[in-house]
Amino acid sequence: MTDEKVIRIDPVTRLEGHGSLTIKLGPGNKVKDVQFNVNSTRFFEKFLEGRPMEEAPRIAPRICGICPIPHHLASVKAVEAAWGVTPPPAAIKLRRLMIEAKQLSSHAIHFYALAAPDFVFGPFADPSVRNVAAVLKHLPDVAVQAIKLMEFGQELIKTVGAKAVHPTTAIPGGQLAPLTEEDRDLFLGKVPEMLDNIHKTVDLAKTVVNAYIDVITKIAVTPTYYIGMNNKGVHDIYDGTIRVMDTEGKIVADFEPKDYTQHYGEHVAKHSYATHIYHKPAGYPEGIWRANTLARCNVVEKMATPLADAALTEMRELIGRPSHHTFAYHYARIVELVQAAEWCKILLEDPDICNTDVKLSDVEPRAGDGVGMVEAPRGTLMHNYVSDDKGMLVKANLIVATNNNIAGIEKSLMTAAKQVFEDKAHESLKLPDPLVKT
Amino acid sequence: MAQGSSCWGCFQSLIDIHLNLATVLPALDIKYWQAVVDYKLADLEGYPDKSIAVGLYEGMVRTEEDAHLLKIMRAKCQTLIAFGTCSCFGGIPGMANFSDIEECLDVKFRENPTTSGNVIPSENIPALEPVVVPNNTIVDFDIYLPGCPPTSRLILTAVSALLSGSPIELEPHTVCHYCDREKKETPVEKILRPYEGIADPDRCLLEQGYICVGSATWGLCEGQCVNKGVTCRGCYGPPPPVFQDQGANAISMMGTYAPLTPEEIKEQVKDPLGTFNRFTYTTSHLGSIRIKREEAKNK
Repeated sequence: MTDEKVIRIDPVTRLEGHGSLTIKLGPGNKVKDVQFNVNSTRFFEKFLEGRPMEEAPRIAPRICGICPIPHHLASVKAVEAAWGVTPPPAAIKLRRLMIEAKQLSSHAIHFYALAAPDFVFGPFADPSVRNVAAVLKHLPDVAVQAIKLMEFGQELIKTVGAKAVHPTTAIPGGQLAPLTEEDRDLFLGKVPEMLDNIHKTVDLAKTVVNAYIDVITKIAVTPTYYIGMNNKGVHDIYDGTIRVMDTEGKIVADFEPKDYTQHYGEHVAKHSYATHIYHKPAGYPEGIWRANTLARCNVVEKMATPLADAALTEMRELIGRPSHHTFAYHYARIVELVQAAEWCKILLEDPDICNTDVKLSDVEPRAGDGVGMVEAPRGTLMHNYVSDDKGMLVKANLIVATNNNIAGIEKSLMTAAKQVFEDKAHESLKLPDPLVKT
Repeated sequence: MAQGSSCWGCFQSLIDIHLNLATVLPALDIKYWQAVVDYKLADLEGYPDKSIAVGLYEGMVRTEEDAHLLKIMRAKCQTLIAFGTCSCFGGIPGMANFSDIEECLDVKFRENPTTSGNVIPSENIPALEPVVVPNNTIVDFDIYLPGCPPTSRLILTAVSALLSGSPIELEPHTVCHYCDREKKETPVEKILRPYEGIADPDRCLLEQGYICVGSATWGLCEGQCVNKGVTCRGCYGPPPPVFQDQGANAISMMGTYAPLTPEEIKEQVKDPLGTFNRFTYTTSHLGSIRIKREEAKNK
């Protein structure tokens, strides 16, 4: 006989990826342990070895079908860094357009399809209605604005990248296809409707934030370190240095991607195939960091575009900087969604975006060690490849976006589990009436 | 809808049917779909056998849990679809079979520049299978829908047919059928790597020396890469009959087009297995020998 009780949640639903939860309770419902079990791994680092290095950008996107664009681009940047290649400026603009379009569609799918069912129907609604299919049924106008945002992003990726999922046009030395003026004009024509849907999304998000402010400010508030890319203090997802912020909100590092091994530590937890990442100088578990939307919004001084920067200022006035509010990840996602939309407009209006000089003709492989980093929707993404003198890939090290969050997720789950099982904190929360009653 | 070890790209491609979601989703009574609804594995296990009309299985089997989920889906579904190239042919993660599992674990956990502690995870997580075997050696499928991922158009065609109870009609052509480039039937003089030079936008990429496996690949993609200047790497697998050996076909096509000695081809192709069998290694002849070797080791 034991007083220990084990709660298993298998699988965790409405997320991208494979995971389950194990919560161990002792006598008096004392939370003894919380595990976030990531249930599989596919060994990309091993089977990238031995491939011609220019093929890595065509293989690595299969790590994630929701964010293949960041993988495609971190991969090609790593190859270019190893070989000492700088692509033409117009190619970089096309890549930036692709990654901003992905940020737009990914943040939209996350907010509307994964998160919104909780807010629309309430966290205690029956599983049969707490999903996006029911959003379509009960709030068709909201669903259509969501679908149109996702469509804008995904179709733009397909136009620049050949495929919306697992794009193929980025190659060491540039891009294999320029953007035609006809295609550019097609998307420019859709920009006003897209921005209108962005404004409606912001309005909905503000309603949700105000209605659930008690949850946001009280549940799962967990101090951690944060990691995110910036360009001289400005939010950037394609290129820049990497900032690390400590639990007090102090920037403790701002490093070049090539120096990542001085800052990244990977702790192999016994109960997860995904490792726990932490700031190496601070050690484990003290230096556990989180990435993703809120982390990026914490580490930067400002956003790159005006509407997004105003939204960031508004968010900071409400919840401060740094914000350790796990539920504010949704809020920060909307701030970044606005920036992605503004970037798409800026880039499509750039006269250079249809420049046909998008690929070098004289790329030469050489022995080298290259690091490519970008921000994926779910966090800082790092690809590190070693090339031999014929351009064959000898070694790969990958620390992917969500990986940065595994330890932080577990830490915030521990906070939430103690609040729920020990303090019954959820019973005294002020919850609004669901937007839709079922 | 169930997902083994996968990237979720097939799921994203399904979402990318855009406004058609407004007609498709309400027509479904979703019984299990972890990305979308909150039903748990125990719910799926509890349904009566054959009580679900149609099931899709995305991804390959890397863990014991993936195998369990696949078998449960077969038991519960009247029609089971191998959804995407991983589910049909093993896909890119099938390339893990190029190495032994211990070598894979070394690279990820034991000898990685950022890990420490020599720990291999094992608690409250499913065991890894020592080798990737094709899903169809574990269960039988009724329909194969390849693609990495299948295009949204292909998915919509399939789903619409299933909803109306009519057969799924798929064209049998290879990628070349959809490619706008001109073939002049000229021999390949030298094999080029894809970053070399600037390709002629109007001519067959293979004839210019760039390895393109479009002629050995099912064209359900409608040529989306080749028409943007990108060589085909075979992500839809072989054309019908779908279990012919795509890699062997691609190599024989290279031999036909490139009048080079075997030594020259070997030197210039660099990575034949990772180029011609990138998506279909586990269902290829060579891949099946690799799996048999593993089975012999375990006896």
